[in-house]
Amino acid sequence: MGRPPGRPHRPRGRLTEAPPDQSRSRPTDTALKRRLEARLGDQLAGPVRARHDTTEIVVGPGNLAAVMRALREDPAFRFELLADLSGVDTGTVLQVVYHLWSPLTPDWLRVIADGLPREDPRVPSITFLWKGAEWGEREAYDMFGIIFEGNRDLRRIYMPPDFKGFPLRKDFLLPDDAARSPGMGVRYMEQPVAPAETRRQPVLRTSPGTGSLVAGAGHQELVAGETAAPALSQGEPGP
Amino acid sequence: MHAEGRGVTVITRPWQRLTLLGKILVPLLIVFVAVNIALIGLWASGLLPWLIQATLDVLGANVGIIRFLAAATVILLITVPIAFLIIFFEMKIIAFVNLRVGPNRIGPWGTLSSVVHGLKVLAKEDFTPTGADVPVFTLAPVVVYLAAVMTLLVVPFAPGLYGFDMEIGLLYFFAVGGLGVIGLMMAGWSSFNKYSLLGGLRAAAGIISYELPLILAVVGIVLLTGSLNLTTIVESQSGSVLDWYIVRQPLGALIFFIAATAEGGRTPFDLTEADSEIVAGFATEYSGMRFGFFFFAEYVNVFILSAMTTVLFLGGWNAPFDIDPVLEFFNIATPVQAVLDPGALDMGLLWVIALGAPIVIGILGLMVWMLKSDWSIVRSLIVGFLLFNLLLSGLFIGWLAINLDWVIGLFWFLAKAIGLCAFFVLMRGTLPRVRIDQLMGFAWKWLVPAALLNIFVTAGAIIVIKSLEGSL
Amino acid sequence: MTTEHTRIRSLDDPHIFVDTPATIYDAVPPYPPTTEREAEFYSLQDGEMLINLGPQHPSTHGVLRVVLKIDGERVVDLDPVLGYLHRGVEKICENGDWHHAISNCDPLEYIASMFSEAIPVLVAEKLLDLEVPRRADYIRVLAWELNRISSHALFIGWLALDLGGLTPILYGFIERDEIVEMLAALTGQKLLFNYLRIGGVNGDLNHEFLSRLGDWMGRAGQRIEMQQKLINENEIFVRRTRNLGTVDRETALRMCLTGPPLRATGIPYDVRRAHPYSVYPELDFEIPTRTEGDSWARYMLHIDEIKQSLHIIDQVLHQIPDGPIMAKLPRLLRVPPGRAWIAFESPRGQYGAYGISDGSDQPFRLRIHDPSYFNLQTVGLVTPGHLIADTMAIMSSLDPIMGGIDK
Repeated sequence: MGRPPGRPHRPRGRLTEAPPDQSRSRPTDTALKRRLEARLGDQLAGPVRARHDTTEIVVGPGNLAAVMRALREDPAFRFELLADLSGVDTGTVLQVVYHLWSPLTPDWLRVIADGLPREDPRVPSITFLWKGAEWGEREAYDMFGIIFEGNRDLRRIYMPPDFKGFPLRKDFLLPDDAARSPGMGVRYMEQPVAPAETRRQPVLRTSPGTGSLVAGAGHQELVAGETAAPALSQGEPGP
Repeated sequence: MHAEGRGVTVITRPWQRLTLLGKILVPLLIVFVAVNIALIGLWASGLLPWLIQATLDVLGANVGIIRFLAAATVILLITVPIAFLIIFFEMKIIAFVNLRVGPNRIGPWGTLSSVVHGLKVLAKEDFTPTGADVPVFTLAPVVVYLAAVMTLLVVPFAPGLYGFDMEIGLLYFFAVGGLGVIGLMMAGWSSFNKYSLLGGLRAAAGIISYELPLILAVVGIVLLTGSLNLTTIVESQSGSVLDWYIVRQPLGALIFFIAATAEGGRTPFDLTEADSEIVAGFATEYSGMRFGFFFFAEYVNVFILSAMTTVLFLGGWNAPFDIDPVLEFFNIATPVQAVLDPGALDMGLLWVIALGAPIVIGILGLMVWMLKSDWSIVRSLIVGFLLFNLLLSGLFIGWLAINLDWVIGLFWFLAKAIGLCAFFVLMRGTLPRVRIDQLMGFAWKWLVPAALLNIFVTAGAIIVIKSLEGSL
Repeated sequence: MTTEHTRIRSLDDPHIFVDTPATIYDAVPPYPPTTEREAEFYSLQDGEMLINLGPQHPSTHGVLRVVLKIDGERVVDLDPVLGYLHRGVEKICENGDWHHAISNCDPLEYIASMFSEAIPVLVAEKLLDLEVPRRADYIRVLAWELNRISSHALFIGWLALDLGGLTPILYGFIERDEIVEMLAALTGQKLLFNYLRIGGVNGDLNHEFLSRLGDWMGRAGQRIEMQQKLINENEIFVRRTRNLGTVDRETALRMCLTGPPLRATGIPYDVRRAHPYSVYPELDFEIPTRTEGDSWARYMLHIDEIKQSLHIIDQVLHQIPDGPIMAKLPRLLRVPPGRAWIAFESPRGQYGAYGISDGSDQPFRLRIHDPSYFNLQTVGLVTPGHLIADTMAIMSSLDPIMGGIDK
């Protein structure tokens, strides 16, 4: 509204070195790659990759807090907007992937905290920089079991609080996993040996009010006969 | 439910097999038969005249009490149709404000939908939540309902048409009306529910805060009238529109109306039952007829507050203008009953009744049939019958209006009161809700000082005018 | 797969009866607190009370349970409890095709579902490095902006409804009704459109859609202005929303706010301009911002955005080229291995998706970043100190949608 339509569009608030052509395979900001290597070189656990419009760095969990602080507070970087925080299960290790945006560069920055072991995945929390990451970390903990050290509120967010197991891990199979595409191989039901989880006898939960009565393959850690009814705290009357 | 012994089963088994209608009609039938048998027995034994005389003596000696009982019964009975009417307004007027239609299928233009709501509320399961304080829980709706309805006893609907003419009618109104808060608090505390608690406390805070401006706003009227008697207040507004207190006490009227909106818990002050915040406030745990009592009490409250506003500020039963000078100007004789003297017709009256009705119905039906081309003659005759009924009712009401002085008064009173009810409903459809701290701040910081200012200005004006008149 | 325990024998069967004491609906959980914050929240001072708001509540936008710690009417602290609508979308997407993911992701933002469909579509297109035909791109923008308007119209109604005004939501539904009808003419669906495809859109514009669109555009701007007059300057509405839930710029960035709540604090961050995608670089529109950062600013911002969207639709209709609406793709779509991150602007904020492909036709990981999820944290930050009634106003002004929050 207000500008005549004939004028070319210049994106505001960014360096004008970005060409107006926004097709997907435009070259990325190579200057950013160099700046990152210069500033953070020794803390990175792998090369700085750049593809499409995203530059990607990999760090180990120990260096993560320092790297994120540098990215946020260094005036040359100013990655002030945390766009996403997610967990990834690569099948062998767990990762935490952060996406950041800065007003100084047209590229997104992806920070991968790689190499978290499946048994004890621990990563420093970045809630000291972005308070809003708290729920992102809760979700990563809930879905993958990744412990964020320093997060004051690391409890499950989607699943009920006494749920055992971490749903988005690759070894957590849904009961109706028969939707595998034909391009991949045989259907799940047609596999010669079904995993042990689906042969287990379903357990009727007897704990009141928490969760459903149907135990699927995901509830494999719930021991049969486990009754809840822990000490109910001194309560308020009514809901 | 198997009773012990055959004797009891003989009664309970057939009783269980009755339908709902049967459970109402069969006892009535039994009572009717018993009364008839008693009467026949009395007549046969010659005691009947003595009994009749004794009854009339007792009734004649206690006319006052009988009148009061009749008034109380009538008032309890009329609250239900009034509530139905206001519920219908609420559904239709808010629908039109919302650019929709509202209920239009049940009854003509949806008029029977509120009856259906009432029946639905009766038919719902009536349970008491676990942990609730049962006697208090059960009595709370009764207290709220009765507090609202008892105030109708002093409201003068028309000249001579009131429940009880108290000298301190206004004081009685506010005193009894304020008892409703106890019911709300009872409801809030006794349901085992935090939402209800919050709603009850909000109700107490809000309604009690607005009692003060409500009462202070009418002190000006009391000063002008010199009496707390509601009939006197209405009579002192007779004349024309300019004599109504809304013209003489505009600030008082405004304060009273705003405080009345808050008292009745209507939007924008309806946070006691804020639908979107605390579900249903104090009435969260109520269902069935108990909730129906709260529901009805709220709508009866709307009517009562509108009725009080009309009585106090809009002239009650007074017409906005006096029609007699106009009629005299046109030389229309008022005693029309001389024309309508059926006794003069003698036997002709029988012919008029026997033939006149079918002839008029036939004429009306024929007119309808000619105007509506796709209706059969039977249908047109039925519609003609309905129109005939309407015509007769209109003539009857007109005759009543001319002969009885309270019919016109009642009409004006109801017109004003129901118009105000519609305005309450309109406000509900348009305005959002006020917060509790804003509610109480408004009452204490703005309305109470304004009401006090109103009193002082009124008193000052009276003194000034009296001294001017006295000196002239 | 019917097994013994899932077959209900009768509703009185003792096997399925679970004895539920009333205390399970307590706001206090029946286990000792596990985290610092839980311990801090669930320990009550003198006079404080824990009350549940939800999950069944007329005003939480979906099934959201918020535990309020109140002292009288004042909210001291609040703790949202999520998961009542959790459907495991991310996990289900891993089990199906990239095409199935479109239908799976549709119910995330169910009132503006073109945006949630865009998640797998844009990620797959980025992984495939696919050039979408320009006509399809323009149609997508048209559909997105229509969805944005219908979502904002509903937002305005919801905010007023949560404050007690019964009328504006029906006015919002007039707009939404017309838009939904025209989108039904376009896509065949009224709520979950299933319209975007990897490589384009499902069907071209047709006559009925264009005629409805033309009719509606002719009156939309004026009608929305007229409908806003009811509450924009209403004293009660303004007093309920002014200075309520104020967020300043620094806090907004720290809380990972995006979308209208961020722009209402004064930061002009809109993904359509900050990191343009689709044909937005060729369109001329402004980013409305406001500086107050309170609920009233967020509300007014939504109205400004509706006007901008109308302007965008106008330009799209003038500039739309002819051509195919779908790129040529193999039937069995094997996406090359890689990682891709996309972001786009939905009515609620910045939707992001991080997709990992392992070379097969199933996504290896499709992470969906929903803006409402992160925006909802701000409720816990700004509400303490206000009254219970204000919780609704603040929550509604942040425009959460539980489908996306709970995924």
